[in-house]
Amino acid sequence: MIDLSTKFGSVELKNPVLLASGVWDLPYTKIIDFKRLGGVICKGVSLKPKEGNPTPRITETPCGLINSIGLENKGLLNFECEILPELKKLGTHVFVNIFGESIEEFRKVASKIKEVAGLEVNISCPNVSRGGDKFARDPKMVFSITKAVCEETELPVIVKLTPSIENIEETAQAAKEGGAMAVTASNTFPGLVIDIERKKPLFKRITGGLSGPAIKPLALYNVYKIKNAVDIPIIGSGGIADYRDVLEYLIAGASAVQLGSIIFNNPLAPIEILDNLEYWMIEKGYKNLKDVNKK
Amino acid sequence: MEPTFRILPVLENKKLGPYHKITLKDAQIYKCAECGNFIMIGLQGFDPYLHRPFSFLEVNRGSFSILLKIKGRGTELLSKVKKGDKLKVLGPLGKTFCPPENGVLIAGGIGIAPVYYQSGWMKGGILFYGAKVRKDLILTREFKEKGFKVRTISEEDGGLVTDLLKKHNDELNGKQIFICGTNEMIKNIKRILNKEQIDKTYVYMEKRMGCGLGGCKSCAVDTFKGYKLVCTEGPIFPLKEVKFD
Repeated sequence: MIDLSTKFGSVELKNPVLLASGVWDLPYTKIIDFKRLGGVICKGVSLKPKEGNPTPRITETPCGLINSIGLENKGLLNFECEILPELKKLGTHVFVNIFGESIEEFRKVASKIKEVAGLEVNISCPNVSRGGDKFARDPKMVFSITKAVCEETELPVIVKLTPSIENIEETAQAAKEGGAMAVTASNTFPGLVIDIERKKPLFKRITGGLSGPAIKPLALYNVYKIKNAVDIPIIGSGGIADYRDVLEYLIAGASAVQLGSIIFNNPLAPIEILDNLEYWMIEKGYKNLKDVNKK
Repeated sequence: MEPTFRILPVLENKKLGPYHKITLKDAQIYKCAECGNFIMIGLQGFDPYLHRPFSFLEVNRGSFSILLKIKGRGTELLSKVKKGDKLKVLGPLGKTFCPPENGVLIAGGIGIAPVYYQSGWMKGGILFYGAKVRKDLILTREFKEKGFKVRTISEEDGGLVTDLLKKHNDELNGKQIFICGTNEMIKNIKRILNKEQIDKTYVYMEKRMGCGLGGCKSCAVDTFKGYKLVCTEGPIFPLKEVKFD
């Protein structure tokens, strides 16, 4: 029997494969067997409903995509009444991604969410004009928001960091000092697409967030940098498309990983990755995830 | 019916007017596809990374087809598939609806695909159909065989579909109307219709789509009731709800 379970802080997952925030919604239960997953992170929740950015909101890039969704969601009240009860039926660990335009908003949202596996604090969305990744670029702000959220909740707190700074170790350290149980490294990378017909940027907000296999080496490097500088569990995220990518993240120092846009390319990828991870462990004669790092 | 994700082989890829009609081998979709459904299709591998949404053109026992127009790099790659190649298929997707037995269908260019699929659930009606050039007007014989009165026009002949509608506006009265075309075309049609006609009109919307399952929130349509997603709340919307500017 292969044991894929992973433990970090107070969180115990049956395997290290999580679905990232912002790529899935409940209709995916028709395709993916959610009970097989280590957990899921739901779409970002803000205090008030947020209508999101004008279209176009997405475009393909080589080995990936750029999005400018703008955190569309129906707000905290709708989340508590309509969405959360459904998420609790998924049969897997549910982490709730929260965001705010101010420390006060983060506090309010964090204080209301109960009975889930944890909170993922989104301070790193590149597609909103207020808050967003401006927070994650400033270690002082990372510390203050993390501390505020931790004061409001007893749930494990994970802070989702931005990749678009030189020293992600500094913001990881700030999250740790603020009381975070873990960090997610990292969010999408800011990027630009030009519409050659209109001869201007495709997105109304100019830039979008790049994800997909194209960013894997960059995000992986962020995990490696944090691992070697800060003693905090890391959830690796960025461009995972294959079980070998998961292994790279685990070896670089991640305790778990998030799958994102790959489910647009192959909705069954999470299940295929879990199956192939297990085959690989059998072939190697490994019994549990700790063996992955065996030399 | 619940959507599935499967790898299906191409039976045929042939030109139909300026488009590619791609037929896939499949013995499941016909059992469950309904009016309003669409499908996401992708090449295996990461190039292109995303699937593309397509209306069904025809659904038969053992196969279904889509109509493809080359718009960019992704559709160009898809247009090159050959018999036996395998494609990723996610569907059926979208909100289904019950079309009237007899109604008005309005199509511009490749907008003919979903209204042709819809006509399979109808007993007849009128098709108003415009294209850039005369030879791009496809499937008109098939519409006639299905009991539709067919009114066509091309820019080559100096007219737009809106000119047809102005001329035959009385034929729209009391009927449900379904439009698939460019935003520009739909906007112009809206100007011609009276309030009563607008209230009975539905439009097929197309947007860049990421997942097809309401996960990514990419395919948002701006409506007077806020943004709505083409993939889970569409593809058809009441004309009066959609903002076009």
